[in-house]
Amino acid sequence: MKYDVAVIGGGPAGLAAAIEAHKNGAKVILIEREARLGGILKQCIHDGFGLVRFGKKLSGPEYAEIFIDEFRKENIEALLLTFVTNIKKLDEGFEISVVNRNGVRKLESKTLILATGCRERTAKQVSIHGTRPSGVFTAGTAQNFTNLLGELPVKKCVILGSGDIGLIMARRLTLEGAQVIGVYEAKPTPSGLTRNIHQCLHDYDIPLYLSHTVTKVFGDERLEAVEISAVDEKMNPVAGTEKIVECDGLILSVGLIPENELAESLGVKLDPKTKGPSCDGSLMTSVDGVFSCGNALHVNDLVDYVSESGEQAGRAAAKFSRAKRNRVALNAGKNMLYIVPQSIDTEADNAASTVYFRSREELGNCRLIIKCGEKTVFEKKYQFLRPPEMERITVDFSGVDSDITAEIEVAEK
Amino acid sequence: MNLKTLKKKIRKDFGNKYQVTASAGVRTVTGESADWNEIISVCSMCVDKKHGIHVVNDVKFTGAEIKPMRLPAISDNALEGAAPDVLIIGGGISGASIARELSKWDINILLVDKESDLAMQASGRNDGEVHPGIDLSKGSLKHKYIIKGNRMYADVCKELDVPFKRCGQYVCFDQAAIKPIIRLYALKRKFVDGIDDTVVISGEELKKREPEFNGSFKYAIYNPMAGCVCPYGLTIAYAENAVMNGAKVSLNTAVTGMKVENGKIVSVSTNRGTVKPKIVINAAGVFAEDIAKMAEDRFYSIHPRRGTNSILDKKSGKLISSIASIKKLEVNSGHTKGGGLLNTVHGNILAGPDAVETWEKENYATRRESIQTVFDKQRGTVPSLTERDIITYFTGVRAPNFEEDFVIEKGRKTSNLIHCACIQSPGLTTAPAVALDIEKMAVEMLGNVKKNENYDPIRKGIPVLREMSAEERDTLIKKNPDYGEIVCRCEEISKGEIIDALNSPICVPTVDGIKKRLRPGMGRCQGGFCSPLVTKIIAEHQGIPVSQVRKSGADAVISFGKTKGGESR
Amino acid sequence: MSRLVCIVCPRGCTMEVTKNPDGSFEVTGNTCKRGRDFAITEQTMPMRTICSTAATAFPETPVIPVRVSSDIPKEKIFDVMKEINNTVVSERLGRGDTVIENVLGLGVDVIATSDVLKEEIK
Repeated sequence: MKYDVAVIGGGPAGLAAAIEAHKNGAKVILIEREARLGGILKQCIHDGFGLVRFGKKLSGPEYAEIFIDEFRKENIEALLLTFVTNIKKLDEGFEISVVNRNGVRKLESKTLILATGCRERTAKQVSIHGTRPSGVFTAGTAQNFTNLLGELPVKKCVILGSGDIGLIMARRLTLEGAQVIGVYEAKPTPSGLTRNIHQCLHDYDIPLYLSHTVTKVFGDERLEAVEISAVDEKMNPVAGTEKIVECDGLILSVGLIPENELAESLGVKLDPKTKGPSCDGSLMTSVDGVFSCGNALHVNDLVDYVSESGEQAGRAAAKFSRAKRNRVALNAGKNMLYIVPQSIDTEADNAASTVYFRSREELGNCRLIIKCGEKTVFEKKYQFLRPPEMERITVDFSGVDSDITAEIEVAEK
Repeated sequence: MNLKTLKKKIRKDFGNKYQVTASAGVRTVTGESADWNEIISVCSMCVDKKHGIHVVNDVKFTGAEIKPMRLPAISDNALEGAAPDVLIIGGGISGASIARELSKWDINILLVDKESDLAMQASGRNDGEVHPGIDLSKGSLKHKYIIKGNRMYADVCKELDVPFKRCGQYVCFDQAAIKPIIRLYALKRKFVDGIDDTVVISGEELKKREPEFNGSFKYAIYNPMAGCVCPYGLTIAYAENAVMNGAKVSLNTAVTGMKVENGKIVSVSTNRGTVKPKIVINAAGVFAEDIAKMAEDRFYSIHPRRGTNSILDKKSGKLISSIASIKKLEVNSGHTKGGGLLNTVHGNILAGPDAVETWEKENYATRRESIQTVFDKQRGTVPSLTERDIITYFTGVRAPNFEEDFVIEKGRKTSNLIHCACIQSPGLTTAPAVALDIEKMAVEMLGNVKKNENYDPIRKGIPVLREMSAEERDTLIKKNPDYGEIVCRCEEISKGEIIDALNSPICVPTVDGIKKRLRPGMGRCQGGFCSPLVTKIIAEHQGIPVSQVRKSGADAVISFGKTKGGESR
Repeated sequence: MSRLVCIVCPRGCTMEVTKNPDGSFEVTGNTCKRGRDFAITEQTMPMRTICSTAATAFPETPVIPVRVSSDIPKEKIFDVMKEINNTVVSERLGRGDTVIENVLGLGVDVIATSDVLKEEIK
């Protein structure tokens, strides 16, 4: 059985990719490792999803199920509770080895869409020391216990990191009867969306401490306390500022890392800035026929854009042909944290290319300028840009013939 | 140093703070000090290896409160009245290997450990190196057992179905000038000390074999017989094989006292009842001295030495395929472990450990400084090594005595006791060989014991599906579909394997117990994705609510109960 | 005058509200009408939505996600939570189905936000 498009991952990106590829005439198969479609949205039971796309505030499951319903209606093939163990590059396409309750199977597909999402950074990756008790959870794990298993993982907790999941969990745990002592953030500015600081923390009188981090945990079996330290501009703990806070839980929301182990096994080049594959305007990676979308491509803050990138990849994969490519780089220049895509294929139709970017720091009254040589391709004014809030623009790259650079000019900081 | 000179020297260096008395091959140091390192120095000065004199530390340490041994939360009568032929105290590599070797005999064996699993202390907290013995000179017990132990590994691991690889070890040097000295040193090791696999290789050859190594290495001592094993995997396998052959293992069981009459242990009290063993084997790791004291046979002292290792993402596994350490001019300072780099049987790089003296036997907290020390040093071997690849780190506490050598002998004053104590590196390597000797001592002590006719040295581990061919894997899944349901994505572990672990001879139904046996939670996500799933599988298998599943010990609660109705509200 | 951050959409506009002598409100800083409405409601009767889970009678899915069908007064959040916590869903309800009708007489229902219980049958 040979497929045109194999989508790996059944979260919002993969679902959108599969539906769009199918609508564009491709024979599609979606492979999901969990028993149910929907990815992480299954446990994101809070609302706020779909504002851009549907103009409504939906909960995560509601948002996901709109796509799942469509996916089912279109009768797209899916393998659930199925794990990809290996992907081999063939002369034409790819051989995907999967394992599930029926055994081991090999599938062949002309193209691949990697919609594998992301994983959370762990305590050790942010250099927390001390003992190894229970009660230290990443926000996503705590969310799984609370929202899917209906179990209360903490009673009195500290949250490290002001990423959106951390803020959302502060509110969730408070609603479920736990006490959230405070949210600590090593950076001098919050990592999550401003509205979440307000509706998740301020509404529930949960304090937010900036430029502070957890440096140590205590407790031989269950967590008993954490040590909080102030940090300097380089985010290093300042000796002498240590403070012990008694708690039975530590929730970490300290960043997400795109999951690209499969991509790397295929030789896909990653962008060190996004930690996702370096892609062209069709979201094709450095390996011909391999596409990337959603949080595997770069960590998004809105699911609406995750679906959008899935659709882009799905469409492109369905139309994939072994054409000649001529890629020019799209570089993230001054004041830019990153830009996606990282290149433009001048042979393709680039009249309306979707571009995502984040600024390196909080900037007010600034201007994004995209230039190809001396020629300005695109320009836009912004009242403010904040790294936690990803920006999306549509750019006409028709006629570009050499490397492009996007940069942000700041009138005032 | 004779006693008189020693006393004089101590007085000169430290004033009248410390006193030394000697009797029956033991020097006892008394006094009082708030400086732990000073106590270590004084006691170390009293060592006289030539005459086999042991040092007992009775100096009162006033610098901090030394916490008592942590005890299990459980208290019952499960063991009350048990009268095993052999009571083994300690479920580390020593205790487990001894239990297995003794299970060849038709005797009643009981192994107790105070922790919720085997290999919870030093045996679960080391780098798993199977040492070649390159740093050991003739004369010590470490040396006596190293070659035999090392050479036994392939067979033992085959019998017990434990992964083992002989990956070889390099000790690298960047000082060309001392090459002749090192050559002589290698020759001495090879021909005098019997470390017969020792060779010296050139920098160019080293570069060929380990391309990521520091280009400035001029040559290296190479020992192809060095290897590595999963230390807790081997301990568990030994214990499981012992249980298969009739031994009993009682976890969460701490020895709290002993009754000794006429130089004989008559009973041993535990938190789970009083046991009356014929003989006792002391394999209690950092607490061996405490056990010796209870048995009224204390003639050595343990000074705990902490070490921290970092585990790197498998992605960085290509940086080194073997074991390596870097050496400057000083050849061997006896016991300082500078740490090294090692590619484990699972393909992760381990960096470390460092070595820090401590009075705390059970403080496994890691410290930022340890990681820095190790990485600063190890970048000398592999310059591209980076802390960014760390997925986790852990601390272990070694159990050395001041003589820095093992104590493997029958009790001196207590007749039905065998010490397998002061086991530090290379204790993992020597364990298979030491266990055989202790088996002999125990059998002799018991007298008149018969062979266990049903003894089977073969233990089958849990199938590792990720390492199988597609055909093999498919066949197994067709028999048991749970093998096809992947729970841990980082390490590719199936639900079937987890259920196998829960049905294994020594069932430890905790998240850490499963992790030790199969590795879910040891990958790069550190259990972020799989820990709720593993917790749920344990709860279902054991027929308990999720809130009763533990990470490890009885108080390591994972969930406080249901958020809605029932249990918690 | 009071300052507040709009939570209607992810944009998070910082707004200023001033109460005029005639009781009407002046809002600045908003970029849409919904923002203006939010700013004014915040001055009179702050409203919020809540999302949680409700226990079910089905062991494979111990809880299902629920939310209120429209905003409730902020001060009623924990009262509504109590009602949700005391509910057990014993039918295979789906997305949008009512779990608690007219909760606490607020004119708002608590509704299920997932079809997960229906999926189980398949």
